[in-house]
Amino acid sequence: MFRLLAGRFFASLGTLFFVGLVLFALTRAGPGSPARIVLGADATADQIAQFEQIHGLDRPFLEQYITWLVDVLGGDFGKSFVTGRDVAGEIAGALPVTLSIVLFAFIIALVVGIGIGILAALRPGGPFASVTRLSVVLGLSIPAFWLGIVLIRFVAVELRWLPPGGYAPLSAGLAAHLQTIAMPAVSLAVYYIAVLARMTQASLQEALRGDYVRTARAMGLSSPRIVFYALLNALPPVINLAALSFGYMFGWALIIEQVFNIPGLSRALLNAISQRDFLLLQGIVFLFTAIFVLANLGADLVNRVLDPRQRSAA
Amino acid sequence: MPDFRPNRRRFLAAGAGGVLMPLLPASLLHAQPNQGKTLTVVLPSNPITIDPINQLNHDAMVLGQTVFENLVEYDLDGTLKPQLAKALPTVSADKKTYTFDLREDVTFQNGKKMTVEDVKYSFDYLLDAGNKAARRSLFTRITKVTVLDPYKVAFELSEPYGPWLYFLTKYMGIFPAGSRQEHGDDYFKSRPAGVGTGFGVFETWKPNDYISFTKNKTYWRKGLPHWDRLVVKMIPEDATRVAYLLTNQVDVISAPPPREFNRLKTMPGVTGASRPTLGGALLMYTNTLKPPLDDVNFRKAIACAIDRKTIGEKVYYGLLDPSAVPAPPRGWWFNADADKELAFDLDRAKAFLAKSKYPNGAEIDLSIQAEPYLLDTKDAAIFVQAQLAKIGIKVNLKVYEFSVLIQQAIRGEHQMALQVFMSPGEASYIIQVCLTPGQVLSKSTGYDNGELNGLLAQAFAETEQAKLKELYGKIQMVVARDAPLGVLGYVHASNLWRQGVQDFKVNQGLTMSVGEVKV
Repeated sequence: MFRLLAGRFFASLGTLFFVGLVLFALTRAGPGSPARIVLGADATADQIAQFEQIHGLDRPFLEQYITWLVDVLGGDFGKSFVTGRDVAGEIAGALPVTLSIVLFAFIIALVVGIGIGILAALRPGGPFASVTRLSVVLGLSIPAFWLGIVLIRFVAVELRWLPPGGYAPLSAGLAAHLQTIAMPAVSLAVYYIAVLARMTQASLQEALRGDYVRTARAMGLSSPRIVFYALLNALPPVINLAALSFGYMFGWALIIEQVFNIPGLSRALLNAISQRDFLLLQGIVFLFTAIFVLANLGADLVNRVLDPRQRSAA
Repeated sequence: MPDFRPNRRRFLAAGAGGVLMPLLPASLLHAQPNQGKTLTVVLPSNPITIDPINQLNHDAMVLGQTVFENLVEYDLDGTLKPQLAKALPTVSADKKTYTFDLREDVTFQNGKKMTVEDVKYSFDYLLDAGNKAARRSLFTRITKVTVLDPYKVAFELSEPYGPWLYFLTKYMGIFPAGSRQEHGDDYFKSRPAGVGTGFGVFETWKPNDYISFTKNKTYWRKGLPHWDRLVVKMIPEDATRVAYLLTNQVDVISAPPPREFNRLKTMPGVTGASRPTLGGALLMYTNTLKPPLDDVNFRKAIACAIDRKTIGEKVYYGLLDPSAVPAPPRGWWFNADADKELAFDLDRAKAFLAKSKYPNGAEIDLSIQAEPYLLDTKDAAIFVQAQLAKIGIKVNLKVYEFSVLIQQAIRGEHQMALQVFMSPGEASYIIQVCLTPGQVLSKSTGYDNGELNGLLAQAFAETEQAKLKELYGKIQMVVARDAPLGVLGYVHASNLWRQGVQDFKVNQGLTMSVGEVKV
């Protein structure tokens, strides 16, 4: 287990370094200098050169990358070129916002998606399975931003049940917090409910066709117990998919936060892209990568706990 | 199949309960920001600075104009009025010295009385090239600021240049002597508390969410502002911005979607208005140094092939006043004869094309902006593409982000580029910036004409409106003759607000004016 953890840790570190390098290259390869954004359309060439010198943008690419990486490893993400604010502080302020929405959406997707998948797998020819099939197609087809706008229109503007956007932290009270994250989380979760339901249904149906299920039934085990054992065998691919989904949710939150006017990481990232705010952009994407890598590592570990075959292979 | 019957009722009840838990009664909704005497206004973009000498975005200028003020103000009707000065300046006979008498009842938000030393310090700071003020180039003709007595100050210019007074409201502000050294530039950029004379005192900036101000209780205009707190929210998404207004979460929004504007302003509880701007032009930078745009007849063929009236009425729902010259149709300096020279006329367009080096038409690239600013230029670009096809000119539309497109135009790398250009709304600005050499957008047209430059220099030295009208009229005739810059029209500024909001007026300069608004 220790060897596994150490191996995965170093592999993850390598991934992060590589992504950091690619990210660094991509941000600098794109057209448009941050100097033009900060200094305005009518800045002179001298002003732009001065700006680039002050912020080290005129130095060789690798030198810039190594300086940045060393600073990041020391916990210093630098200061935003555009706003002058501390990048680490900006990320620390926005991360809890995005995290609360993504976590809520993830829990909804897990509970509803896996629940529906199990029920549909247990009644493959029944009306519930048909409804599930239709719902899955719908869930996969509905764009999250469109669903968000529709929810705002009906739930916020027509019914006045929830605010149309914004974010209230947990410190403002649980009710206020849930009211602001409910619609964004549902919009974000719908696609993943469909994905997880479909995977759970397929995987559980496959497991229920296994020889050991027939044997267990012949031995007189109760149905809930049989389903429980089948579920343990059906879960690994679902967990892998859930881990991937958790990472992808941060990406989709980009659109959701824009639609619901939520001051989270994704909104900061979008602004950083349009304003060529390199350091903020790199900091946020680096964090997203780390979350993605950690989620996958977590999924591997959970699978090893659930599946003895994976433990013995390690 | 195992005989397993899960308790679906319980499962569904638990699921429904989880989903419905947040749906508490409306009265429990998250605290609304417009309760009490808080005025909440909404911007469509994310500001990057409050510093008055580094303002870039005309929507976001509401921030700087809340904290800082100037000697004179170019107001929401397009009239130059005294602000921190007692009256408009007296101008010397050679038009090179401007003398101001300051008000004696003005204090900064930190309690310090404002004097000419502060004015001199502010301008000296702006003009020092080392301080990298974004719009310093607009004021570099000021060679010296002289203190004449504690409330009288003189500005000496290297050459006559009247327009500088009109640029103060958008690009300058007065701050206390020594404050830049005391606080540093980042302070002015993101938390300028106490360093202005304006009606709002900076309170907090929550990145990507809102910026708030409290009432300046010692404001020199007694009785203003009428609110206790001003919240400026940032909501980039059109539909969300409108939803905030319709659910009474905010009081005033800027940049309502043009397509929905007429419907929204008649909705119950909502008021809306628009007015033409004097400086917001939908421009088509034509690079006269690149073929086929190097031919004047080809450029005039393009100008005459575009039906601006239809673009204004059908594409932008009346929120664009058609004009073919760089002057707003409702501006005092507009020359209708020059406009007629380039007006829509397909027969003339074909005749110009036949006279050009490219009688069989040509293919050109038109760069357009991906993200809408004031108007979505993609809509007009498609219409222009269809219209030019009628005279045999094939237009390839190329979409770029703003920061990329503007750099193309600055470097002259484009053929044609369509963009809404927001200027201070003064007669010379667009002509100077786009059509004279040595300016930031000179290469967007590549145009350099001695006759136009001479007329503009005369206009800079003139102060009488009648004579200015004659000079700008001549300039427009030169532009109509050479067609170095495509103009489609001038945009309207528009706002929507809740009916409980009083005394809100749409600003011809686009920036929301909130000092006199009652909640």
